[in-house]
Amino acid sequence: MGRNPSTSPDTAADDPLGSLLAHPALWRGRSLARTDTHSTGYPTLDEALPGGGWPANGFSEILSPHPGLGELRLLMPLLVRFGQQSPARWVAWIAPPFEPYAPALAGAGLPLERQLVVRTDEPLWALEQAIDSGACAAVLGWLRSRSGDALQRSLRRLQLAAQRQRTPVFLFRELAAARCASPAELRLELHFRVGGARLELLKSRGGRRGAFDIEWTDNPGVTHGTP
Amino acid sequence: MARRERAAALRPPADAPRRAAPQARAIADLPPVLDSLFDEPIESWLALQLPASEATPTMLGRLGTLAYRYTSRVSLEADAVLLEVQGSVRLFGGIQALCAQLLERCRAAGLAPRWALAPTPLAALVLARADRRIMVRARDRLMGELASLPVESLGWSADTLERLDSLGVRTLGALLRLPRAGFAKRFGKEALLTLDRLSGAAAEPRRGFLPREHFQVRSEPAFELVTQEALLQHLAPLLEQLEQFLRARQCGVDLLKLRLAHRAGQFTRLDVRLAAADVSAERFTTLLSEQLARRALPAAVIDCELRSGALQPFIAHSDSLWRPAEHGGALGRESPALIERLRARLGSDAVYGLCLVPQHRPEIAWRVAEPALDAPSQCSAEALYHLSTLRRPLWLLRQTAQLPCAVSDLHWIAGPERIETGWWDGQDVARDYYVVREPRGAQLWVYRERLPPHEWRWHGVFG
Repeated sequence: MGRNPSTSPDTAADDPLGSLLAHPALWRGRSLARTDTHSTGYPTLDEALPGGGWPANGFSEILSPHPGLGELRLLMPLLVRFGQQSPARWVAWIAPPFEPYAPALAGAGLPLERQLVVRTDEPLWALEQAIDSGACAAVLGWLRSRSGDALQRSLRRLQLAAQRQRTPVFLFRELAAARCASPAELRLELHFRVGGARLELLKSRGGRRGAFDIEWTDNPGVTHGTP
Repeated sequence: MARRERAAALRPPADAPRRAAPQARAIADLPPVLDSLFDEPIESWLALQLPASEATPTMLGRLGTLAYRYTSRVSLEADAVLLEVQGSVRLFGGIQALCAQLLERCRAAGLAPRWALAPTPLAALVLARADRRIMVRARDRLMGELASLPVESLGWSADTLERLDSLGVRTLGALLRLPRAGFAKRFGKEALLTLDRLSGAAAEPRRGFLPREHFQVRSEPAFELVTQEALLQHLAPLLEQLEQFLRARQCGVDLLKLRLAHRAGQFTRLDVRLAAADVSAERFTTLLSEQLARRALPAAVIDCELRSGALQPFIAHSDSLWRPAEHGGALGRESPALIERLRARLGSDAVYGLCLVPQHRPEIAWRVAEPALDAPSQCSAEALYHLSTLRRPLWLLRQTAQLPCAVSDLHWIAGPERIETGWWDGQDVARDYYVVREPRGAQLWVYRERLPPHEWRWHGVFG
């Protein structure tokens, strides 16, 4: 876990107010907050995200119009790093849309024996259990329900649980969810771009917004032939 | 003491006149006890032997458990149960009362063992196998009883028996009269030791029998239990009892069975399975409440019965000072707890791990696995390297599907990769795989059948 200290000018040690404001629990409107992060493994993304990576305590939302745009590839470097920790903890896959394909995961360097797949119609309950147990290094969840007060409340509970257990949680949702507020630490919209992806920062600590492109690092050569 | 007991055999023990009537008759059916007039017996072994057709491990286990009520020194033979009863004689009001009670219990359990009582285990066994219903407590009177038995009853090899026959030795009496030194020279020290054990000149250490235990408790509530909370409250002391029971034995269980009886003669059965053996009542309560929350009870509960599965050795862990995986803190009991909680509510099929299968056919190159609690590495570095060179999608469709768009709209990225195998088991595939991009931008893994009608199918998504 990398603690990337704030670059804000008002956190000088001799300034009592400044040191108070540097407290991690404090989130000031436009300033860059001090947050624990995990590097994403993509330099462009690290640069663009506040704190320089995925939030380590709390949940991030990745919104994409449909699966297959590289939503898992974004997380692979992080998951591989978690798999190398000793002792490695679980990576929980809650209500994934398809089967996580074991040969591809193993080929990417993930330890298969640490992956836990959960099939359920109540992903929020399972997410909360997985986070609360403290047995997971990271929790990935796929939500299909659109909105509603109940969802809002559940998400807030998830956020609190993730902060309490210091577990990074990633929720994958549909684009339509962007219209509703969310207590997520970080919200990203994922769009297709040839050879990479276009990411739009919808919400982050410190209020940074904007769009940026990333390239896939492991993109192999193009066509060998067409039928 | 011996004389006192013989007197006791004549009239029922002083403390038992009320329950004496059937027992007195049972005692009267027993043969007289052959006691020594001079010394106290040290050990008295009772052999209960079952006929070959009945002598299964289960039956012997049942007999052993039954015998365990009378003494802790029980041991099993291939066809018999041996128990040392001398230590329990006083408690049961005499050797005859004890034997009568034990045999009565066997009868009630549907067992009719042959039996014999002797000062040494081997002698008791030999006498029981010969179906001599006798009760010998004195060593000096044992010889007389054994003398007439044929040498075959010791179960020695045919070769040995033949040699004994050629010496003219046909009974145990004749055998025991042979000179020791010469006997040992001809038949070996082992054989001599057996004779010593038979007569009691040498001790025979025996492996003890430990009855299989499980926990079972029934409790009838004072009023009908309607709500789940009331039911859990009623179960709490039972689970507490279970924890005490398990802790006293340093054991854990990974299966709990709860049977709830309803008024109309209906039953609800709940099985709680744990990922690892545990003892904690709190844990059991959590899992039970998850299961109960999932089930609607058909009616009010009037009776509960809680049973445990087989006991398993349980080694308590100390809780880590650090959170798991923090500062090298080991993964404690969090992982099994998580899996159990998820499974209790979602069913055990809904929570699984992944593992590889060495197969080229993509759909069977992996399978669902039991989540590993202690993580062994599954895969050789070589296999991993091979996998990393393949281009495989992170998502696989459970069932292949039709293409989400027309073939002409696809953008070709890589391929073809031919997979043609499995002709030997009837699930043969012959496919050309391509990596494509559909118009909306998703990267898919699709294939074309090599055989007519050359259908295009969608098989995976590069997430």
